[in-house]
Amino acid sequence: MIQNKLARSSTPGVAALQRTISKKFLLPSYIIISFLFLISEKSDFRAIRFIKALINDGITYSIYIVNAPVNLILGAGSTAKQYFNFNIVLENKKLKDEIDQLVSEKKELLFYKNENENLKKVLNIKNKDAYTAVYTKIIHEDTNEFAKNLIITIGSNENIQLGQAVVRNNVYLGKISEVNLLSSKVMVVTDINSRVPVVIPSKGVNAILKGNGLGGAQLLFLPQNVALENNDQIYTSGSDGSIKEGLYIGKISTDNKKDPKNRRYSVDLGFKEHQLNYVSVLKITRQ
Amino acid sequence: MKLFLEKIRYYSAHIVITLICINDSIFINTWIAPGPIINIKYVLVFYFSFFEKDRLSVTFLFILGLIFDSLQGMPFGLTPICFIVLNKIAIFLKKRRTHSNFQNEFIAFATSLLVTQIISVIILNYFSQNSFEYFLLAINIIITLIFYPIIRQILKIFYFH
Repeated sequence: MIQNKLARSSTPGVAALQRTISKKFLLPSYIIISFLFLISEKSDFRAIRFIKALINDGITYSIYIVNAPVNLILGAGSTAKQYFNFNIVLENKKLKDEIDQLVSEKKELLFYKNENENLKKVLNIKNKDAYTAVYTKIIHEDTNEFAKNLIITIGSNENIQLGQAVVRNNVYLGKISEVNLLSSKVMVVTDINSRVPVVIPSKGVNAILKGNGLGGAQLLFLPQNVALENNDQIYTSGSDGSIKEGLYIGKISTDNKKDPKNRRYSVDLGFKEHQLNYVSVLKITRQ
Repeated sequence: MKLFLEKIRYYSAHIVITLICINDSIFINTWIAPGPIINIKYVLVFYFSFFEKDRLSVTFLFILGLIFDSLQGMPFGLTPICFIVLNKIAIFLKKRRTHSNFQNEFIAFATSLLVTQIISVIILNYFSQNSFEYFLLAINIIITLIFYPIIRQILKIFYFH
């Protein structure tokens, strides 16, 4: 009895609206609206795209606010862990050593970069496309049986375009699959619709990396009789023209069978899903 | 006070379904299994539709479906149709069966889930350029069916004793 009372809205305006619009009318109208939305997926009208972008932005930012307490609770564990980390002094020393090493490597890298530039000038080789990175926050990540998406806080306001690569610490994560006004969707490399041209420099082999939809990825179109080894590194080849060349993706893991024909390969990706907070979008600037 | 508590209990189903829908992967797929394995949103919609047909209104399911589509990057309108179809099939099957036991309920769930997934596949084929794998979908259906009795038992503790 109470539940029946609750099913009706107590707000006078809404109750009046409910009385006016009968339930029989609601069902077909929602089905029709849904089909109109679906039909509009195939259309390329600017107005429809704009309305969809507005709806997407509205939903995304509302969900971000609604989800804030949930994220706070989920993140409380790791925050507490950080405070009770008694190895922090040792970790600090280790990190300082690592920074020193990286600084020296950076200097070496700068030397090679200058040398490379000079040699290019001598040989009259044109520079490849330059990229600028735009730093952004992930506000939502979701997985279902059909897709694996991240939502980031920049969209057409920052001139983000479809197909641009998304990286974290120079590790390739995915590419932009949908651009709204203030947010964008990223198709992660593990999505079953993701295809990335890759290269394995140690073997000089090109392939296509395809997401398996289960948090991993597999290599397609590998040349016959190629024998890849454990820890062979995979980088983007940049052959599609939109994704920067040389972005680290992950490394090969094999079952080490002697016959290369029977060897099975899997890919250990260079990032962990569900542990991403901030990423960069690489915007191309043609030269 | 009692009425207020009843209200909270009544609308808690809506809150749970909304939170599960917007955090599908965080709640389920990170902790229980990798990837999109359990379709918990369909289990919840079916459960509440089957046991109390008026609890989830068509408007609520439509709006929730749109939110889900927006977040997941699915074609707009796919999930509202699936939710509404699932809701209507659950209500129809509940009406048809006068003798209610777990076996009947499970068969009703399996039927509803199968019909809903077939509809989503047809819609995706016609209205989306994205491909999907039937194998992954089959795994999803099977694991959802396996987990249904467990989720149902958990829900029974809080609702419809």
